[in-house]
Amino acid sequence: MSFLSVSDLHIDLGEFYLNGVSFNLDKGDYLTIIGPTGAGKTILLESLIGFWTPDQGNIYLENRDITMELPEKRNIGIVYQDYALLSHFTVYKNIEYGLKKKNPKGMKEKIHDIASALYIEHLLHRKPATLSGGEQQRVALARALVVEPKMLLMDEPFSALDPQTRRDTRALLKKAVAQRNTTVMHVTHDLCDAWTLANKVAVIRDGHLMQIGSIEEVFKRPQTPFVAGFVGATLMEGTVIDRDKGLSVINVNGFIVKTLDPADIGTKVKLAVRPEDIIVGTQPSPNTSAQNNIEAILAHIMYEGKTSLLSLSAGKTSFDVLVTNHSLERLGLATGDTVYAMIKSSNVRIVNSRVN
Amino acid sequence: MQSLKDKHRAGKTNAFKVSLIFVSFIITAVLVLAIGALFMVPDIKDVWESLKSEEMIFSLKLSMWTGLLSTALVMVFALPIGYTLSRFQFIGKGFVKTIIDLPVAFPELVLGLCLLLLFGNTFVGNIFKSLGFQFVFTTQGIVAAQFFTALPYACRIMKSTFDYIDPRMEFVSRSLGYSMFETFMNVSLPLARNGILASTVIAFARCIGTFGTVLILAGGTYMKTEVLPITLYLNISYGNMGMALTSGIVLMVVSFAAIYIFERTEVSL
Repeated sequence: MSFLSVSDLHIDLGEFYLNGVSFNLDKGDYLTIIGPTGAGKTILLESLIGFWTPDQGNIYLENRDITMELPEKRNIGIVYQDYALLSHFTVYKNIEYGLKKKNPKGMKEKIHDIASALYIEHLLHRKPATLSGGEQQRVALARALVVEPKMLLMDEPFSALDPQTRRDTRALLKKAVAQRNTTVMHVTHDLCDAWTLANKVAVIRDGHLMQIGSIEEVFKRPQTPFVAGFVGATLMEGTVIDRDKGLSVINVNGFIVKTLDPADIGTKVKLAVRPEDIIVGTQPSPNTSAQNNIEAILAHIMYEGKTSLLSLSAGKTSFDVLVTNHSLERLGLATGDTVYAMIKSSNVRIVNSRVN
Repeated sequence: MQSLKDKHRAGKTNAFKVSLIFVSFIITAVLVLAIGALFMVPDIKDVWESLKSEEMIFSLKLSMWTGLLSTALVMVFALPIGYTLSRFQFIGKGFVKTIIDLPVAFPELVLGLCLLLLFGNTFVGNIFKSLGFQFVFTTQGIVAAQFFTALPYACRIMKSTFDYIDPRMEFVSRSLGYSMFETFMNVSLPLARNGILASTVIAFARCIGTFGTVLILAGGTYMKTEVLPITLYLNISYGNMGMALTSGIVLMVVSFAAIYIFERTEVSL
């Protein structure tokens, strides 16, 4: 059985709720949980840690049913967005707090080890209120990791940090959990957290687990339009009309798309494409059959700093393309232009051939 | 046109603001004058003589020890009640909260009357009597009267104090292996330090100043159940202004100290 197994979890706190959430994690997995505000992400963490008793369903950790176990017996750590450091303790005492209870042997060395790993050794004597956000979050991380919890839960740990600090803290966190092989569940709004830290992603909406899987699966093969929209991919529907040299040929509302994924002729399929996997040009590429060339109208340009997101429409289908501002300038594109979207057939993925 | 209009509008806002500030100042001024009168009217020698009188010393001592004892008892109950009302959901919570808060809006005399009826010759009164507690017309009654008068204030302050402490601090403590009780002692109580201080001084000021409840339950007997407010009341009825004013001044000083400390703790009532 899996390291963590959650089955059919139901909980209703009025404003927030979970409805039949089931999933498994293996030891050492790093799962990021994404979803709109109020979807139930925090409650999921707080149910796992034992602050809420579910109405229905079970939680198994290392094959033991912990659904009704007290939080203090579960050995699961938590890190919050606002750090929740004990303001009447120094940094040292904050980190020491859990160790003192769980494993007082060799406390000093352990505290200094974790403090040096997270670059907070020079802050040990200070009170939390005198630290910056990034420093406080590193202290909170140290406090949670030093007791070597079976699992670490994090609720938007980086959302109060500036981008630079966020990147640095992410790198430290990645190293720290990799060294300890800690199993992590990390709620976030920032897809970068998923890309850089996680090996698994879960998408939650209205208390339902919409999809869970590897980064590859969720980001590149989103099962529903909602998940696709949330992870920034485009979902199209079409019918398989041919099989040709290992490629499936699919008719999507009038244009043809070829993919490496196998499918039976005549079936309806959903296709997913990521905006960064599409190249835009003013001429179709002369290149082989492995390349798709889709003629489309440039409907909208959205500037996003270093890059731009182009909305293309081909017939009734529209999809997004991510380009650098440099190439946008070089191509001299404007809204209304006819362009060609070039997609490798390996980058078009059949999500689900069981479309009804 | 536009700029004239703006000027006019700004003027109106100002008049509104100024008049509100004016109202606040008028009331403050009347209160300052009233409080000042308490200190200006009597001559110092008179106050000094009154302070040294046997009656005043008795009253001061009685007020102090009953006040301190009641405050301690109030806090022993206000801490768990405040925490309960802030953190836990249970059946009948609304009822508990309303009843505990009731004495805030209750006239002290009515509260005293209720307690007198309860502790008089009734089943409950007899139970207490068999345990050695006799509340009617005794100094124990003073403590009981002060306790019930001050308790709701202390509970309210403690509840709002715990409301302001992020429950996630407690969650973290429990996730690190501490039980609910240990978390309460290690995290909630230390973080509630200011609220506890505020609650204690307000409770003490209420205890020292309780009049109606004490008068009805413990009686206002000269040199027996005579606390400071009773001294004030008895002496004013005899026309003994020196004694009355002196107890008034002592009570006022206690209240000032309490409010001063309370304001410094920045806790909301």
